[in-house]
Amino acid sequence: MSVLAALARLRAVREGRAQPVATVRHCHVAERPLVFIPLTLAGEAAAPLAAMVGTDPDAPRLLVVPQPRDRDLRFAFAAELAEVLLPYVEGFGKATETVERRNAEPYERCSDAPQIMVPNAQAAAFTGLLGRSTRFRRAEGPHAVHPSVPFLGRWLTYFADRAKYPGSSLLLTATDALGLHWATGQSGLEDANLAALMGWIDPPPGLTGPRAAQEAEDPLIWPPAGPATDPGFDNEVLAPAIDAYTRGPSPRAVERIREALRGQLEPTWRLMWRAAELLRALPAGASVAQRWDADRGSFTDFLGRMAEETPPQPRRDGAVAAASRLARMERAHAAFDVQRAYDDPLVMAEYRLTGEAFAGRVAAADPGHAEGEGRSRKLRPLVTVETADPVRLAPGTVLGTPDRRGQEAEVVAAGDGSVTIKITKGMGRGRTPAPGAVPEVGERVCYSSLTGDFQAAAALPEPELTPWTHGGPPPEYVPRDEDASEEWS
Amino acid sequence: MDLLDTLRGPVPPLAHDARAIAALAANPGCARRAVLDAAGVDKDLTARHLGFPAPFGQSRFAITRGNAFEDLVKDNGCAELLRLLRDLLGLPIPQVGYHDVAQVGAHLRHSHTRALIDRAARDSDDAGTFYDHPLLSLEIAGHVSYLEPDVVAFRLGGRFHIVEIKSFAMIDGQAEPAKVAAAARQAAVYVLALRRLLEDLGHDPGRVSHEVVLVCPENFANRPAAALVDVRRELAMLRRQLTRMTRVEEIVSGLPPGITFDLVRDDAGRPARPVAELTEAIGTVPARYAPECLSTCDLCLFCRDEARACGSTDQLGRQVRDQLGGVAGIAEALALAEGAGRPADGQEEIAGLLRLADRLRAECLTAEPLAGARLEALEGAR
Amino acid sequence: MDALDALERRIGELRAQVRRAVKARETVLARALRGELRRAEQAWDDALCASEPQDPAAAAGLSPVPAGAPGDPASMDGPGAGAPWVPASTGEPGAPGSAGGRGAGQGQWPGQGQGQGQGQGGGRVTALVPVRERVHQALGLLGVPASPRLVVAVHEAFFAGGLRGPQFTSLRRDEERSFRASPYARPYYLCAALTERLSAARGLLAVSTWPLERRIVGPLGPRVDFLTGAERVAEHLIRLTGTGERPVAAASRLLTRMARNIPGATAGTGDTAPADPAAVIRAARAELLVHLPADSGCRASAATRASRRLGDAERLFGAATLSDAARKGA
Repeated sequence: MSVLAALARLRAVREGRAQPVATVRHCHVAERPLVFIPLTLAGEAAAPLAAMVGTDPDAPRLLVVPQPRDRDLRFAFAAELAEVLLPYVEGFGKATETVERRNAEPYERCSDAPQIMVPNAQAAAFTGLLGRSTRFRRAEGPHAVHPSVPFLGRWLTYFADRAKYPGSSLLLTATDALGLHWATGQSGLEDANLAALMGWIDPPPGLTGPRAAQEAEDPLIWPPAGPATDPGFDNEVLAPAIDAYTRGPSPRAVERIREALRGQLEPTWRLMWRAAELLRALPAGASVAQRWDADRGSFTDFLGRMAEETPPQPRRDGAVAAASRLARMERAHAAFDVQRAYDDPLVMAEYRLTGEAFAGRVAAADPGHAEGEGRSRKLRPLVTVETADPVRLAPGTVLGTPDRRGQEAEVVAAGDGSVTIKITKGMGRGRTPAPGAVPEVGERVCYSSLTGDFQAAAALPEPELTPWTHGGPPPEYVPRDEDASEEWS
Repeated sequence: MDLLDTLRGPVPPLAHDARAIAALAANPGCARRAVLDAAGVDKDLTARHLGFPAPFGQSRFAITRGNAFEDLVKDNGCAELLRLLRDLLGLPIPQVGYHDVAQVGAHLRHSHTRALIDRAARDSDDAGTFYDHPLLSLEIAGHVSYLEPDVVAFRLGGRFHIVEIKSFAMIDGQAEPAKVAAAARQAAVYVLALRRLLEDLGHDPGRVSHEVVLVCPENFANRPAAALVDVRRELAMLRRQLTRMTRVEEIVSGLPPGITFDLVRDDAGRPARPVAELTEAIGTVPARYAPECLSTCDLCLFCRDEARACGSTDQLGRQVRDQLGGVAGIAEALALAEGAGRPADGQEEIAGLLRLADRLRAECLTAEPLAGARLEALEGAR
Repeated sequence: MDALDALERRIGELRAQVRRAVKARETVLARALRGELRRAEQAWDDALCASEPQDPAAAAGLSPVPAGAPGDPASMDGPGAGAPWVPASTGEPGAPGSAGGRGAGQGQWPGQGQGQGQGQGGGRVTALVPVRERVHQALGLLGVPASPRLVVAVHEAFFAGGLRGPQFTSLRRDEERSFRASPYARPYYLCAALTERLSAARGLLAVSTWPLERRIVGPLGPRVDFLTGAERVAEHLIRLTGTGERPVAAASRLLTRMARNIPGATAGTGDTAPADPAAVIRAARAELLVHLPADSGCRASAATRASRRLGDAERLFGAATLSDAARKGA
């Protein structure tokens, strides 16, 4: 949270409507996402109660567990979910493209990847739990489940893990994605309610944002987006319906539960598609495609592992795996921050506010300035920028700019409303700069100490060289019978 | 405490449970909550009468599940808990003594708990290992609240441990941090109450361990697993808050004379006090609303409405408040940002920041985009 | 379909009203509304059924019925106290057992899996055995005072099952009333276990024909009784397999669950495999040896006090506690 974001919230209160905090879209929105809204039984760790799922806004599929405490019915639910999810996910394996690499073999990558959209962070977490509770199951033996169930488990685990990776859009959480682009006139805590958040961003005709958000808090008007259900609904509607089913599991009893749950899920279903539409309407940021490429690569990789039938993801990472995962996440996080700032002047403005970036017009330029003699002579153009921003950059600080991403510059002098910089990288080998390579007088430019040159990968040992202080080399994960027969009660 | 009785009206004070006491520590700056709690006012009923019923509710399913799990842990003389403590703390085999404090009548439970704990602390041979359904007490702002920890375990290295049974799952060794934190806050209240009891009996309060035993179902099965949770931090916070609570008297004595939060209940127990009058009375004690109240305080929606009506920045959360560095009103902050208001003393810096933020937003949302245009041309030059 | 649509709308409105009423704690109104809601739902059910041909097969497909559910006559011919097929007429009129038949008359659907003992009524067969008789069977097998939950589990494991927690609520009180009205008229009574203070121990059931010591529960009592009970369950399993019977899965599950809480009892089999009865017996006895000396002393002294101080009824159902006395005085 910055003063900039705080100000946006203040404005939202005054205007009665959410205010933008981004000028471009920072996440990928698929053409055909799979919307997944799970509901769980209150008080249970991971007892699915229902889900609304599908890729067609007009044809949601409703899955229901009429007695959520019944293990067999839970696995029937998982199998049914697999029936929807697996064909969708695996369908993206059909079309691939060849990616050329410098100094490496070209490889095949899926031309597109699946995208699952869930309403909120808890739904994303539940996706992981459902994956955890199903991926170790087996299709044969004493606790056999439908063959699709363990595959579903691995995929859900993959998506939930990937969702923690900054900038990934394979599993998109609606409240987070919206929050990246709009500030409401309520608190972040209240933004976790999808209907309230949407109320501020896109109030129904005739309603102000706050009014719509207030309605969204009434579970009778807007059932919660899950996975937790409204306690009032549980006690008044669901419990009697489940009791009736337990007394006599007739189609009527099942239908009664289905109807009750459909009513709880349908409003959120519509909201989810509206949210996707709102996000899609924003122009994509310049780096979105690049991050989606990484998502596609990761997906292709996992699809290959699934085809080779490698064992399910272990319960816990070993020490080295955990450390390298953490390091990767930190790098991804830094990269995501930089990319968003470079893609979006409104995000860059946060750094200008703190003096880590500045923007202004070029007052003077010496494009032919060079350093060194003879063979070591290098072009080092000097540019002086007039800016009203409170620059807090010491001479020598390395700078990057969204306008010329291949270049690097450094601060020569800063003060009194102007900054002089020297372009140090990306000038090529010519005696004079390429046309357009050096900003001209009068041009608007922006420079920032935020650069893509973040920490190199931490030097971590190979897993088999894990020091004994960290538990020694991890045994390769071999699924045990116990994993497959683990209770799910 | 005559004043507090007057504030509450002619009904018995509402008892606090550990959760309520733990919540006191959640928003210590709120005078309204401190006064209402100290007076033992029924906040839930008050909120409903004011037209702002608390947004909480508990699902039948969750309650059933919670009870069933606790029964499972305690069944057969705490057989499951015994297994867990033998594994977790190396409890020796002979230590199995089980005392159900609830064997005595409800009104004797507290004194019975005292007697049993005293006996245990004296290390007599018949000291038990499990004290089930104990009843502890804690004095808060002059009156006593009775507390019911799940189990008190003893004989683990001569120390007492609070056992807290929760039905949220521990999956692959991890539970939801927010839930563990809430359990720790609650358990800290019990630890404090038990320490006060030992002190009162002339024993060393340090014999109550700051490590509580948290029992949860493991993975997706019903099988209990246990972990030790260090609650020193929660204890320190709680102690600090309870000391502050003594200031309640100061707040109360500063209230206009004749103020009462009495709901004026009719014969059926329904509040009959005119709502406007009650709203005004409650308004005399300042609240410190924060969005976190939405999950901890019965009056949260009332206070939120009040915060909204007076345009307070509190409603936007502490993060926003912190960014605005002491500017308490939304209109005031916006005026500073737009240069329409003169900063008061000490506000110059935040005013400058706000004005800059305002200029940057305007520039970015109206001007031509900065980025990207020459990108492709330059890729080649690199 | 107009009628159905209208009903659905009505149901939706009523649900909202009910929940508003509940939120406002208008209990009377909520109750009335709930009643209306149930009627509307019933009408909807009826209208729906009238509108389409019934397809019971679909019902069976939607709701897998657990195999070998209790109530399955195959698991009924267990040993134990008397013939399990006592006709209802031999039970006391008005005995709580007669409540067991609620499930009757609901069998429109084939295989309406009321399994797991949680369903309403254990079905047609078990309703014939009164509740007190079934509790007696289970307690007889365990041989120690037990909580209703353990009694239910034991009965499900070795007898017909179909006992439910709520059936126990008035059991002890009914037995006490019957005893006080005409002492020793029945061959046995389901009575209380006694604390060291000689009051009735909370939540435990015992049998009047047991020696008094067995009904005393001191601080070590719950553990000793648990270990003894596990031993008895294991012995019974061995007997069953010895006579060529195949115990139901629930019996093995019960033993495994108990075994996990006895050190060394699952050493050979691991925590998830079915426990070995012989190993459970060995482990339980080993731990019992540790507790028995202290426990026996406590039982004996309490039993002596009880027989000296208590009348017949108090000895079976517990001396009045101070709070009871206070309540009676009020």
